[in-house]
Amino acid sequence: MTKSEFLQQLREKMKGLPKTDIEDRVNFYSEMIDDRIEEGLSEEEAVRDIGNVDEIVTKQIDDTSLTKIVTEKVKPKRRLKAWEIVLIILGFPLWFPLLMFILTMLLVFYIIWWSAVIVLWSIEGSLIMSVFAAIVNMFAFTFRGELLSGFGYFGLSLLTAGLSIFLFMGCVAVTKATFQLMKKVTLKIKKSIIGEEN
Amino acid sequence: MDVQLKRGLLEVCVLAVIRNQPSYGYKIIKDMKPYVEISESTLYTILKRLEDSDMLIVKTVEHNSRLRKYYHITSRGLKRIEEFKSYWPDMVAMYEFIVREDNKQ
Repeated sequence: MTKSEFLQQLREKMKGLPKTDIEDRVNFYSEMIDDRIEEGLSEEEAVRDIGNVDEIVTKQIDDTSLTKIVTEKVKPKRRLKAWEIVLIILGFPLWFPLLMFILTMLLVFYIIWWSAVIVLWSIEGSLIMSVFAAIVNMFAFTFRGELLSGFGYFGLSLLTAGLSIFLFMGCVAVTKATFQLMKKVTLKIKKSIIGEEN
Repeated sequence: MDVQLKRGLLEVCVLAVIRNQPSYGYKIIKDMKPYVEISESTLYTILKRLEDSDMLIVKTVEHNSRLRKYYHITSRGLKRIEEFKSYWPDMVAMYEFIVREDNKQ
């Protein structure tokens, strides 16, 4: 691949991101390739050395905030004609609720997901409390001479302790996975907003 | 390695490279290479962040009839290196503690 082909590809795949960001990154890679060529590499080798266009683009999308991407998307590419403005205003009762609906759904999804995680942690919390309660009961019953009940609570405390350790690992894993999922979903949303233009 | 931690460390590495004299993208990568491998796209992100937080400034210079960006460290950037150096002994102490406890097994 030649340098200009590489930069052209880069530019095309970043379409939809803010113009200044695209130019800035393209200039950066252009300089990187030129410096390599100056050092004695062939154009082909220099481009190969830089790496994969898709990876670079994904990184750039990841680095750009969602608000920046949305702003770029809704910014008119040219001056709007009068009838277009009229259409936007007349269509407001239609597009605004739709937009709100989508945003609300996203928010609801987000809240529900995190609620599930919080519920899991609450169960973990109550399990830990049960461990202590069982231990207290164990002593209370033993001192009162009810050895069988005391023994029963001893077993219960072991059981809840085991369960809480088990669930704790689960909670940590779920929380971590959630963070990763949210990151992936954000990237997907960003890509789909940009992707429509390609 | 923890992404946040690595990012923070790489920022200081880049600042260290341009500490004594301004440098440009490809040279920064080459200077770091014997010690730390860093990709172009990672360097780009780091340079942007350092620029946004006023730890370096960019000056475009003509070189062989093309433009090349040189990165100059600012007083903020110098301060960042000093800060890093001041808290690092604690980090090393923690690392040694972890290794020592781990070896006891």
